[in-house]
Amino acid sequence: MAAQEYPAPESVGRLQQRALLIGGIALLFSIFGAMRSPGPFYQSYLMSFMLILGLTLGSLGLLMLQHLTGGHWGIVIRRSLESAVRTLPLIVVFFLPIVFFGMKYLYGAWLDPEELQKEPLSKFQQAYLTTGWFQVRAVIYFAVWLLLMFLFLRWSKEQDVNREDRALRLRFKMFAGPGIILYVFAMTFAVIDWVMSLSPHWASTIYGFLYVAGQLISSMAFMIAIVVLLSRTEPFSGVLQKRHLHDLGKLLLAFVMLWAYFDFSQLLIIWSGNQPEEISFYRTRLYGGWGVVAVLVLIFHFFVPFFLLLSQDVKRNAKVLPKIAMWLIFMRLVDLFWMTRPEFTSRAVPTWLDLVLPIALGGLWLGFFAFNLKQQPLLPIGDPKLEEAIEHHEHHEH
Amino acid sequence: MLHRSHIYGVMGEFSTPDELIHATEKVREAGYRRVNAYSPFPVEGLSEALGLKRNMVAPICLLGGLTGGLGGFFFQYWVAVIAYPQNIAGRPLNSWPAFIPVTFELTILGAALSAVFGMLALNKLPQPHHPVFNVPRFTHASSDRFFVCIEAKDPKFHLEECARLLQQLHAHHIVEVPDD
Repeated sequence: MAAQEYPAPESVGRLQQRALLIGGIALLFSIFGAMRSPGPFYQSYLMSFMLILGLTLGSLGLLMLQHLTGGHWGIVIRRSLESAVRTLPLIVVFFLPIVFFGMKYLYGAWLDPEELQKEPLSKFQQAYLTTGWFQVRAVIYFAVWLLLMFLFLRWSKEQDVNREDRALRLRFKMFAGPGIILYVFAMTFAVIDWVMSLSPHWASTIYGFLYVAGQLISSMAFMIAIVVLLSRTEPFSGVLQKRHLHDLGKLLLAFVMLWAYFDFSQLLIIWSGNQPEEISFYRTRLYGGWGVVAVLVLIFHFFVPFFLLLSQDVKRNAKVLPKIAMWLIFMRLVDLFWMTRPEFTSRAVPTWLDLVLPIALGGLWLGFFAFNLKQQPLLPIGDPKLEEAIEHHEHHEH
Repeated sequence: MLHRSHIYGVMGEFSTPDELIHATEKVREAGYRRVNAYSPFPVEGLSEALGLKRNMVAPICLLGGLTGGLGGFFFQYWVAVIAYPQNIAGRPLNSWPAFIPVTFELTILGAALSAVFGMLALNKLPQPHHPVFNVPRFTHASSDRFFVCIEAKDPKFHLEECARLLQQLHAHHIVEVPDD
């Protein structure tokens, strides 16, 4: 067992090719859309970017979490998490169009002099929300995440070679806790800059956590889909067991509940306070067409997955669980649509760009992810807990 | 036949969880159904080896949660809308968002309490005495030994045959468990 290298199966290579092909085609369509109607293009782009960012950063959060807590579930998905985290440089590239071309289409509320005349910013906002500082802060956020990525991936590689290194194991634990704080801190500020500033006169302190919880859902859902896909063929088919799926399903349920808890807290506080500058957020989002989307999000992002995931049979079912997971990733997109788009239009109807852009960014991202997955063994072969994690306890029936 | 009124069953002692699971499987394969196993810690796969069917704790817990949640919500509804209607800052009487935290808490309370008490009731606990305690070595069941007991209530039960079967499975000590 110890000598096994767990190479990625051919299906990962096929996944990479197909994802890149479909993503590439969708990208061509998107570029056409960007030239024809840059406004709607960047609105869709921001939404898609936030989804893909969530897959990457949620994985960074989960990677640090599993180093901190231990647990067999973490060992089974660790290489997939690392492969998702390693896509961060691509996320930086994805961010560039927003900085260089998209800002004037997205952040008119604090960039456009005419808008500012209608609703002036506070003194602090005037100093904080400027193009220059927006860029400086983005560099800081990405520097923090890239540093965490660099450290955790390098040590993981070192562990593959030297499994006896106790200092290394300690280092994982020592850095994981502060790392999670840094990730959430940077994410909170990033989301204030990138999404909340779409409407600079509205503020919510739980807004960052809302996105972090969403990112954890996206990433955990993606991990479930990926390990089940891998388990169809050697060498992962003998690795993944029902108890692993059960744990991953439990965590997915927990993140869905966490997200709902944050989302509802924000609503409850704003609803109770009933202040004009605060309720604007829900005035635009809970009535008319957007109200319909809100109800859809409540039912299909919370109630349906919540009640399904309560069942132990569902969490242990390798056919059903990945379907719920994929559905949740789709609902993340719908939620981001509901969070961002009402700032631009009262029409709660997606455009063709809302279909093409998530496929374009998602396809390229998935291709890069699959490429990363091929570079290393599918399991952390240097982890001292590996054998215990993939050992078969379940006594089979006769 | 004579034995049945005097003894509770026959018990064999094992020193590892794997032996325990193996022995339990074999005893059930031999056709015995009134079998129980005792171990100092939860042993994965033992429930399957014992052929335990799914218990009712999960449905009881769900029911308790739903009762707590619905009860919590509608109690607040009754207070705020029917019994003591008050105009608070012009909000509707049925201010459901404000009811959710209590509804949520009571769901958890109902689910947790019904899970604990449902589990105790299904296990027929508290039970101050059990025939297996008559075996002196059974104290090891809470530290370092594993026991399989074939109960006399089993229709196939026969003292010597059961003892022989446990012997074949390499049980360390095979004892008769007196019923009192």
